[in-house]
Amino acid sequence: MRLSIILFLIGLGGYISAHQFTPTYPELSLSYVKGIYKADMLLFNNRKEISYYSIGVFDKDWKPVKFATENRIVKMEHLERKTITVYIRKEDKDKALYICSKSKTLVDYAQTSIVTSRICSKIK
Amino acid sequence: MNKLLILPVALACTGAIASSNIPITGSVESKCVIQTDTDGVYGNPTADKLSTAANDGGVVPRIRYDIVTANAYKAVISYPNSFSTSPTLTDSVAWTGGVTYDTGSDSGMSAFETNKISYNNSVEFPLSIAGSAFFKVTSTAEYGYGTAFPAGTYSAMVTAECIAQ
Repeated sequence: MRLSIILFLIGLGGYISAHQFTPTYPELSLSYVKGIYKADMLLFNNRKEISYYSIGVFDKDWKPVKFATENRIVKMEHLERKTITVYIRKEDKDKALYICSKSKTLVDYAQTSIVTSRICSKIK
Repeated sequence: MNKLLILPVALACTGAIASSNIPITGSVESKCVIQTDTDGVYGNPTADKLSTAANDGGVVPRIRYDIVTANAYKAVISYPNSFSTSPTLTDSVAWTGGVTYDTGSDSGMSAFETNKISYNNSVEFPLSIAGSAFFKVTSTAEYGYGTAFPAGTYSAMVTAECIAQ
């Protein structure tokens, strides 16, 4: 099945202009700071027209959960791959369910229809 | 004498370097990839209407989802209900739209269309089959009661989400 998917993707021309955010099911592990957990996420930008992504953490009802990361708005070059470490407090550890990345579009990007992509991973 | 002893060792080493392999490693893991396949364009068939429909002179945006593992994600696609950029509008805009499954790498993916759930301006598709699936988004904006849209550039956002289940 996986082979057929790969062959299909190659058959489509091999060029993928896309947004990827992995892993699907990240695990929180203890960080070097006591009482703070972390998850390492990998963001890949293959969308030429997108240069910024926002990072967010949400609970089961999609309410924002407090978190820390190096930058909440991440600047990404085309074809750049970046590891994003998300830090969550011990008291929010059980509340946090989704870690999301969302493409940000510049206001002066004049096009009649724009696709905003958002990918959410589910914390194990 | 020493040079003669070193020579075979040096030749053996050269051979070892020439035949050394450089590994390329990779892994296939569960992931969702969202791709903009076709950018949408609004046509302006009448003064008070903007539409992505082909017979209105528009282009329907098409989004592709690549899924490696079945049932790991659901797709949520929302058609626009406001303009992200437009000239100043003094009257109300009536928005309509829809999202439909178009085509995919597996014939069973037609079930995405039958199993979709619509609410507000969003449509949810359970991605129960791995592979690539294409979705079309239609959008229409009608201004006031027979009022002409002011001249200018209009843009609206389609939101394509992939949420781990």
